[in-house]
Amino acid sequence: MNEEVATEALKGETLPPARSVLGWPRQAMQSGNWERACERWSILRQVYPEVEAAWVQAAVAHRHVDQYEVAEELLNAARKRFPDQPGPVLELATLRCEQERLDEAMALMAQARADFPESQALLLKSAQVSESAGELDTAMAFNRLAREVFEDAPAPWLQYAELAMYAKDWETALARWAEVRARFPQHAEGFTRAADAAQAMGNERSARQLRLAREYGNAWLESLQDEDDTEEEAEHTITPPQRRDWRTFIDLVWTKARLNLKSEASKNHLRYLWWVLDPVLYMTVFYIVFGVLMERGGPGFIAYLLTGLVPFQWFAKTVQQTSNSILGGKGLMHKVRISPLFFPLVGIVQNTGKQCLVFAMLGLFLVLYGLPPTIHWLAFIPIVLVQLLLMTVVSCLLAMIVPFVRDLTNLIPTGIQFLLFSSGIFYTIDRIPEEWRSIFFANPMANLLYQYRQIFFENQWPDWSGLGWVTLGSLLGLMIVIVSYRRLEPVFPRVVIE
Amino acid sequence: MMGIAEEIKEADTAEEKGVIISLRNVGVRYKRRGGLFRKPEYFQALEGISFDIHRGETLGIVGRNGAGKSTLLKVIAGIIQPDSGVIVNYGVTASLLTLQAGFDSELPGTDNAIISGMLMGYTRKQVEARMEDIAEFSELGDFIYEPVKTYSSGMRARLGFTVAMYMTPDVLLLDEVLSVGDKQFKKKAEVEMMKKLHSEQSVLLVSHSEGQVNRVCDRSIEI
Repeated sequence: MNEEVATEALKGETLPPARSVLGWPRQAMQSGNWERACERWSILRQVYPEVEAAWVQAAVAHRHVDQYEVAEELLNAARKRFPDQPGPVLELATLRCEQERLDEAMALMAQARADFPESQALLLKSAQVSESAGELDTAMAFNRLAREVFEDAPAPWLQYAELAMYAKDWETALARWAEVRARFPQHAEGFTRAADAAQAMGNERSARQLRLAREYGNAWLESLQDEDDTEEEAEHTITPPQRRDWRTFIDLVWTKARLNLKSEASKNHLRYLWWVLDPVLYMTVFYIVFGVLMERGGPGFIAYLLTGLVPFQWFAKTVQQTSNSILGGKGLMHKVRISPLFFPLVGIVQNTGKQCLVFAMLGLFLVLYGLPPTIHWLAFIPIVLVQLLLMTVVSCLLAMIVPFVRDLTNLIPTGIQFLLFSSGIFYTIDRIPEEWRSIFFANPMANLLYQYRQIFFENQWPDWSGLGWVTLGSLLGLMIVIVSYRRLEPVFPRVVIE
Repeated sequence: MMGIAEEIKEADTAEEKGVIISLRNVGVRYKRRGGLFRKPEYFQALEGISFDIHRGETLGIVGRNGAGKSTLLKVIAGIIQPDSGVIVNYGVTASLLTLQAGFDSELPGTDNAIISGMLMGYTRKQVEARMEDIAEFSELGDFIYEPVKTYSSGMRARLGFTVAMYMTPDVLLLDEVLSVGDKQFKKKAEVEMMKKLHSEQSVLLVSHSEGQVNRVCDRSIEI
């Protein structure tokens, strides 16, 4: 049907240009339907007898259906018609190879080389014919010539590599494909055929790399292959330790806390100034309310109040902030392997950093208030350290328990409130009946606040034994914390998302 | 239960074969609800997973959505422990490639690179030494000194990827082949990822796409 319609169309007076109709028989050839191709070429040959392809390609189609005589006839006719084209001779040589008349093929090629010394296709064909004849050296010689004469053409280089593929010399083939890739990176064969060679060698991995390289380029492939010996590459990579050592861990906590402070400060216009303003305002409020408006507690009450309140606030803020820290760190915990201790510790360091300024303000206030520094202020250092230890224990313990019993978060503000009133911030110790005092001091915060008052307010050395007990208790707590964190470390990532 | 002698024997033969991590019948379940007063209900995320990871290979794990791929990665990274079965790590480091871990948008790119890198396992010095490379590869230039909140999402992604890229654990765990940023950077990132996938490093890639896994992996397993 199609053919008839086509013939009808072609009989019209003006023919479409030959180029536009050649696709029709070629389509049949591409789909391997050689008989149909033969028919189509013969139709075309009638309409476009001056087109070489109509003869030569027809011969190709006939060769595929084993009609060697017809093919030969067509080619001979074509040689006469197109004496200055190498095409018919080339196809004739192919036909001879197919017929296993290799000597004739070689003779044909020799003749053709004399007739068309400039033809690349001819040299390549000569190599091919020699290859079919088993004369690989001759084939190589022709190919070399082709590569020398037509250095910028890809075809001779492709044949060069294919020759090695034909000889099953995969190593050489790979090297030659590499050369093809270097010269003609746009040619897919350089990658795909090299991958075939690698596959034939049994190197699946390299085969896959080659196939991927077609997408990612030759530079990528090369960077892969000489990764072993470039030192620069080694510098670029970092192998993490299986577990952080304690020094890296401390640095991590320190850096995170420092950056958190920086981040916090950058949210406000006055930035770091707030760390000074905040305690100053806070102390001013207490000064106005208790010192000026109420005139409660007699002279010096305001200093007494603040020496207790300032360290307590440090404790309260830290505990409040860190108690939820492990729960809050669940996102990170599921991304990187990190000790859960990281989360409360960052909060503690962060608050301590801010507290330094608050203590400085307190010192300034005391001096202005008429309580100049004495030698006893030196004891401030051990007291602060003990409080830090105590806070670490309390914060870490709470942060550890909260993921398991989340309801506890609701109790923490109340607990802190209770501590605020039971630690003797707003009243002096002598208001407490003698028999209750030991219970009162069992509260470590009450004990610590008492020590602060001793050095700042009473100008005395602290009660070392009391401080010792708190230290001992905190150290014991610290051991419990460390052991339980070790134990629970793998449990936390599960618990926090349940 | 295996005897110690058998366990040692198995470990020896495993090492000979180049096995660096092996999973045997690993199962993970999450508690869905329940607690103090209710009977707990569980959700089985993984069940009966067994395979070995060999040195230098690129292993692909294919699974549908919800097949437990991410959970599996977390088990191998040592973030969570399996409820049943065993995972044996023959002394190698395995970590997840995570982007923008611990980023704080108030802070400049440099600080974020430092903290993110440190969380992944670098030391501070290691990150600082690479800061120029990071600024260059991420194409941020002087923008790296600006707060991350001023970045476009593409710039953020580029920074996150660049920091993570330098990480080279023995076993790199990947959740899909990461490609981030705009079109041009995506290609660059992908090339870099492919480099990792084909280096001497062992890589475990989980993906929902079988095609992707077959394209880049030496071997694949379905879960």
